[in-house]
Amino acid sequence: MKKQWLSNFILAGIIRFLLMNSEYQKVISDRVEVSTSLNSWKRVTEGVYLYNCGIDPYTGDLFHETPIGLYVFNFIQQHLSQWILFCLFVFTDLLTAVFLGLTAKQYATELVSKQKVEEKLCNENKETRNDASIVYTSMMYVSAGYLFNPYIILNCVGHTTTVFTNLLYSIALVSMTRSIFWNCLSISLLTLQGLYPVSLIMPAIIYITHSNSVKRKRNIINYVMVFASIITTLFGISYYIMGSWSFLWSTLGFILTVPDLRPNVGLYWYFFTEVFEHFRWLFIASFQINVSLLYIVPLALRLRHDPMLLAFSYLAVTAIFKSYPCIGDVGFYMSLLPLWKHLFQYTQQGFIVGCFMLFCTVFAPTVWYQWIYSRSANANFYFGVTLAFAIAQIFLLTDILFASVKHEFAVRHGINKDISGNTAKLLLE
Amino acid sequence: MGLLTDPRAGSGKIIKFLLKWERPLCFFLYISGIVWILLLALPIFNDNTYFSENALLPGLVTKESNLEQTTKQYYTHLINEMKRYPDVMPYAWLAAKLNQLHLDVFTHNFTLIYPFQEQQFTGQNIYGIIRAPRAASTEAIVVSVPFRPIHSIYLDTAPSIALLLAFAKFCRKQKYWAKDIIFLITEHEQLGIQAWLDAYHGVTSGNGGVLISGDLPGRAGSIQTAINLELHSMKIASIDVKIEGLNGRLPNLDLFNLAQNMIAKEGIRQSFQRRFDVKYKNKFKNWWYHFNTLLMMITSQATGIPTGNHGLFHRFGIEAITLEGFEKPGQQSSDGNFYQVGRIVESIVRSLNNLLERFHQSYFFYLLPSTDTYISIGLYIRSLILIIGGIFVKAFSMWQRLQVSASTEDKKNTVVKQSKDDGFDIGVITSEILWAHICGVAIATSPFALTYVGKKMDFRTEDSIYFGFVAITILTLMWPFYSRRQIKYKNAALICVIALVELGTVLMCIAMHNFSLALLAAVIYVPHVFILPIMPKQNFTKFHRMLSFGWISLHPFMIASLIIMCYTYVNFSSDSLPLILFRGYRAIKQAFVFSIMDSMIYGNWLYNVTISTMFPIWFLFWNILCSNIL
Repeated sequence: MKKQWLSNFILAGIIRFLLMNSEYQKVISDRVEVSTSLNSWKRVTEGVYLYNCGIDPYTGDLFHETPIGLYVFNFIQQHLSQWILFCLFVFTDLLTAVFLGLTAKQYATELVSKQKVEEKLCNENKETRNDASIVYTSMMYVSAGYLFNPYIILNCVGHTTTVFTNLLYSIALVSMTRSIFWNCLSISLLTLQGLYPVSLIMPAIIYITHSNSVKRKRNIINYVMVFASIITTLFGISYYIMGSWSFLWSTLGFILTVPDLRPNVGLYWYFFTEVFEHFRWLFIASFQINVSLLYIVPLALRLRHDPMLLAFSYLAVTAIFKSYPCIGDVGFYMSLLPLWKHLFQYTQQGFIVGCFMLFCTVFAPTVWYQWIYSRSANANFYFGVTLAFAIAQIFLLTDILFASVKHEFAVRHGINKDISGNTAKLLLE
Repeated sequence: MGLLTDPRAGSGKIIKFLLKWERPLCFFLYISGIVWILLLALPIFNDNTYFSENALLPGLVTKESNLEQTTKQYYTHLINEMKRYPDVMPYAWLAAKLNQLHLDVFTHNFTLIYPFQEQQFTGQNIYGIIRAPRAASTEAIVVSVPFRPIHSIYLDTAPSIALLLAFAKFCRKQKYWAKDIIFLITEHEQLGIQAWLDAYHGVTSGNGGVLISGDLPGRAGSIQTAINLELHSMKIASIDVKIEGLNGRLPNLDLFNLAQNMIAKEGIRQSFQRRFDVKYKNKFKNWWYHFNTLLMMITSQATGIPTGNHGLFHRFGIEAITLEGFEKPGQQSSDGNFYQVGRIVESIVRSLNNLLERFHQSYFFYLLPSTDTYISIGLYIRSLILIIGGIFVKAFSMWQRLQVSASTEDKKNTVVKQSKDDGFDIGVITSEILWAHICGVAIATSPFALTYVGKKMDFRTEDSIYFGFVAITILTLMWPFYSRRQIKYKNAALICVIALVELGTVLMCIAMHNFSLALLAAVIYVPHVFILPIMPKQNFTKFHRMLSFGWISLHPFMIASLIIMCYTYVNFSSDSLPLILFRGYRAIKQAFVFSIMDSMIYGNWLYNVTISTMFPIWFLFWNILCSNIL
């Protein structure tokens, strides 16, 4: 088992390293699906150069990383040679996979223990499972899903800063039950950089409420306090690095007001090139409310028993609707899918979603070539593909959520799929 | 949201229907796709062409040119010059003539390093630019002619060079040009134009280090459109408009219409695919004629090889066509009619001069059954959608069947096998698919290795590539027998589903670039895919053997060879059979080399795409067809 685990990591590392050293690296890093204005390494290089020249990188419209990011990348670019840089990207990706594997392990143990309790209650499912193997497969699949996910591989080869964002995400997930400090630190770093991940404090708080019923209130207040203090400190550090608040407009403001309409896999660019100028703010407000506010409370209420699924759905919603999405975000939440292996029997749209995903992934570069290079297609073609891609992701997310509802029902009522000899089907209306 | 929440959408009546009628439905879709493409040639099903771009103002200018005499003078001089230097282009003479007209004249040198033998070929293009008197040099129109020496195997183009010079002389005096006009004479057919375009845009389109285009000493604005002239005689009876470009790209339909209209207006017969517009009274005959024209366009587009020098412009977003003029067979050229031909060129170029934007109004994706009707993408894509729809229906029903079998299995062996027989063996499936694709990519890059080995054994390039491919074909055919594998039914079925989905996706993507190629591939491959029997415990029956044999002939190399053989047979049907076979054999050898060369020099992706996508799909099916399914 260890052997397989290790060989997976080595193979994934080799694939990434080979691709990085091939001629395709440049092509991949220039793809709009991989590099957006928020995460492209080119822009980071530019920003670091400006910073070293003593020019505030945030005055232009180039650099949108946080000042802390700027500081770190400055260090990386000044002191690391290209080979070590490559290694750093690969290593970060592998580390993310390890953390995701740990998350899966944790979640699977939690799930198994939960199931045992439920089995005692219902006396219905008398299956003797091999718990260890369930935990192991879940761990294996999640890490393999991250290591060999083509989206993630492209993301890593394209040298985007999403590689580091994903590491922070995985730290946030794995530390959700373990350490308040690491959890708060990673979430606040993510918030500083991308704003939307702030919703992840919700599942974290739910975990806290689950864990200890005696000191519940105190723990929640404790968590919020730690989070607030860390994020203010981070803002303070950022201010200290830059010496002004100009970075706020270039990072958070840039995410919220969407001034850069370069095409990407998201839905904003086309819509805001088409919309009339005086409706712009109305639609920006409604789009942003859609991604950041609308789903938080309803999903939290519904999924309060399963915070990991809640975190997953927040991640998915963000990756679909955020202002500058890239395939690195999509790949991250997709690699978490094996966590819900037990829900797969309740899903319905697996085939359709799979076909759609494959189709869009292959079709997007094709249509892009025709639009940009040979000028025989136009922006509508590419937008159509991104729209289909978003729809496929929405299908996937909804399918998983409905499956979880059905699963809950099935567990609670000890579902017997047979009703007088025929297979019963759950209707949800 | 009904679609998402309603479970009846999941496995309701539709799915039962699909599962029950899967095979007939697939074939029904396939046949209706074919019928649809047949119907498209009917005049009722296609529209008359029209001008979408207002700014063209076709035929509204007063034409002033009379190029007959000047063309004749240039022609006689040129012929003398060409006789003095029968094998090379008379660079000095051409440059001098263009210089006399006070154009900005430049020469462009290029080098081809022949990839597999390290030989070098050089060539020169000559071009002169008329700077627009009415605008800054921001936009340009190209008028080009390929130069062909007297001993060339292709038809002579000296009259078009004479016309080009005469037209340049005429243009020099006019004040109304709003775009630069580049008069370009290229050498070595498509190599010259490719090198010139690469140099003009500062890029390398093919593989690096093969065609070295260098830099241009002088440039005009960004090129909007290009007209390529191939007039074969001084007395032109008919003009054929050629449109198919590299990788099946077509120019904007407006440009094609413009040319056809102007030709008709000057009273010269216009044709498309060398076929005139003939209207039969008999409806069937009429359809048959149109359908043949359509089919010729489809086959020539599918190869992805440009039919003329215009085809290489398309990649850069430049709309371009070739006007090929023929004399009437049997009639000697006593007196020319370059008065009319000159006016055709003049009116086309003046219309292009009127353009305010690039061509963008009319269709880029179309098929033509005659010179004055067209079939838009909205109509023709349906046939392919129907055929590909069949593939997805097949894949979906296979998938559904897997789901059903999985759930029944679960019920039977509830306890022990549950964790073991949980689902598919993901490792086996991914490795199978991965290896097939790695093989595809390896074969696509194999020519280098093959020629390297061939050189050691003193083979010619053609031979080493051909025999290498034969060896590869035999190896891939033998592979499943060599490694007699056993594969579980479920895994086999899932591999099939994935391969089917991949086939559908690949065909659709190819269709976006080169519809004809996708259509032909779909028509050939899809029915075989439909009848593939993937069942547990299959025994090798007669039907199965026949099917395997059919599938062998669909191996990309096999099918290419078969097509070339048929083509040779059609072209040389009077020869004896051994001679035809020999000719076919030589043609196959050359075709393989040419397709690889094309991909390296021009960036033609026919070879690369078929080998790196169609081959893996073929190989996946072949493996499953030959392995024991448990």
